[in-house]
Amino acid sequence: MITVTLQRDKCIGCNYCREHAPQRFTMSKKDGKAVLLNSTDKRGFFVARVHEDELASLEKASGACPVKIIRISGM
Amino acid sequence: MAPAGGFDSLMAAIQGGADSVYFGIDQLNMRARATMNFTIEDLPEISRICKAHGIRSYITLNTIIYDHDLPRARAIVNAAKEHGISAVIASDQAVISYAHSVGVEVHISTQLNVTNFETVRFYSLFADTIVLSRELSLVQVKKITDAIRAEQVKGPSGRLVEIEIFVHGALCMAVSGKCYLSLHTQNSSANRGACVQNCRRKYKVTDQEDGHEFAIENEYIMSAKDLCTVDFLDDVLESGVAVLKIEGRGKGPEYVKTVTQCYREAADAYFAGTYTKESAAEWKYRLENVYNRGFWSGYYLGQKLGEWNDTAGSKARRRKIYLGKGSNYFDKIGVAEFLIESYSLQKGDQILITGPTTGVIETVVKELHTSDGPVERAGKGEFCSIKTDEPVRRNDKLYKLVAAEK
Repeated sequence: MITVTLQRDKCIGCNYCREHAPQRFTMSKKDGKAVLLNSTDKRGFFVARVHEDELASLEKASGACPVKIIRISGM
Repeated sequence: MAPAGGFDSLMAAIQGGADSVYFGIDQLNMRARATMNFTIEDLPEISRICKAHGIRSYITLNTIIYDHDLPRARAIVNAAKEHGISAVIASDQAVISYAHSVGVEVHISTQLNVTNFETVRFYSLFADTIVLSRELSLVQVKKITDAIRAEQVKGPSGRLVEIEIFVHGALCMAVSGKCYLSLHTQNSSANRGACVQNCRRKYKVTDQEDGHEFAIENEYIMSAKDLCTVDFLDDVLESGVAVLKIEGRGKGPEYVKTVTQCYREAADAYFAGTYTKESAAEWKYRLENVYNRGFWSGYYLGQKLGEWNDTAGSKARRRKIYLGKGSNYFDKIGVAEFLIESYSLQKGDQILITGPTTGVIETVVKELHTSDGPVERAGKGEFCSIKTDEPVRRNDKLYKLVAAEK
C-alpha cells in the first residue's frame, strides 16, 4: 500500500490531478478544488491509503500539480 | 479603482479615496496564487464595508475557464448577485454570458485585450465597462472613446460604455498575462492566475558548443519596470477614460493607500484646473516610497519597446521592518499598546500600523511609554504605548519605516 496526501487548502483547481488519476481525484462543484477520494481529513491534509497499482498515475498527478500539494509515500 | 488583496488593503483603498475596489475569490482570478485572497464567505462583509463607504465593489473572475470550472464560476457570480457586489470583471465568454443572463453587471477584463472600437461595440452587448489592453497608446485610446461618443455605443444599463485603463503598477513582459513561461517551467499557468513570475529573475546565455556561460549585462532582461502615469495624468484623462485602475492585489496595504491617494489627488487637481508638472513630480516622489520596480510610462506615450529592470524586487525608497502587534487601545486617551516581537522601537521612529479594520496609519513616535514610564526605546518582548490619532485594534501589525539600502 502507498499513502497519498493532498494539502487541499492550497489547491488552485487546475484539474491536472483528475486528468492523470481520475480514479483518485475529482473536482468539487462546491469550491472548485480537488477532492482526494476515500481519504480522511487530518487537519487540512487529506490522506488516503491506496494500492500500488495506482502509483504510476498518482506520480503523474503529483508531478503535474502546479502548487506541489500532492505527496506520495510508503513505496 | 484600487486593488484589495485583503481587508487591510480594502480599508487602505477607502482611506486613499478610491471610488471602487476590485478583489478575487480564491481561484479563477489572476492572483490565484496569492495567499491573501478572499473567500466566498467574506462577500457579505466586503459588500457591507463598500456600501457603508459609498464605493463600488468588483469581483475578478477573469482567468481562462475550463469545463470543470463552470459550476464554480456560476456559484461565484450567483454569490456576487446575492450579496450586492457591483459587478464581475470577466474575460471568458462563459462568465460574460452567464453573468449577463442573470443580470449581474459585467466589466470586460484587460485579459481580453480589447484594442479597437469594433470590439468595444461587440462587448457593449454584455458589458458597461471595458478595460482596454495595456499595450495601446493614448492616441489609440482617445480614438476609441471618441467613437463611443460619436456612435452613442451603450451598454446593457443604457449608459454610454465606460472605458477603463491601468494607470499604475506591474506590467507583464508578455501581452498582459498571455505568457507561457510559468506553465512551461512549473506547470503553473499565468492565464489561470498562477504565474510564478519567471520574468523577474536573472538569466544567463549558454554557448551550446562549449558550455560557456555569459551573464547578461542588464541581468533582468525580461523584468518590465512598473507603469506610472501620474506625471502625464492630464493626457490620460484627456483621452476620455472614465476609470483609472491601479494594479496590486498582491501588494501591501501601505502601497494601496499611497498609490490611491496620489492618483485621487492628481485626478481631483486635474478637474479643478490645478494640475501642474511640479505637483506631479511630488506625487511621483511619494509613489517611489512604496513598492515599485522603477517606473516607466508603459506604452501610452507610444514607446517602441519595454523598459527593463536592473535590480531584483522593489526600488522603493523606504522599506518596512516588522516590530510587533497591537495588544490594546485606550480609547479615552488615544493611546495604543503594542507588544514588540522583533527589533526595537525608538522615539522619533517613523511607523506604519496596518490591520483589517484599521487599514493604514502612518505616524512618527513622539512619546514612548513602557511599564518603566517614558522611555527612549522599547525592546523585544516589551509592551509599549504610543499616542495615535486613530484607533488601533488588537493584532494590528506594527512596522518601522526605514530608508532602503542602495
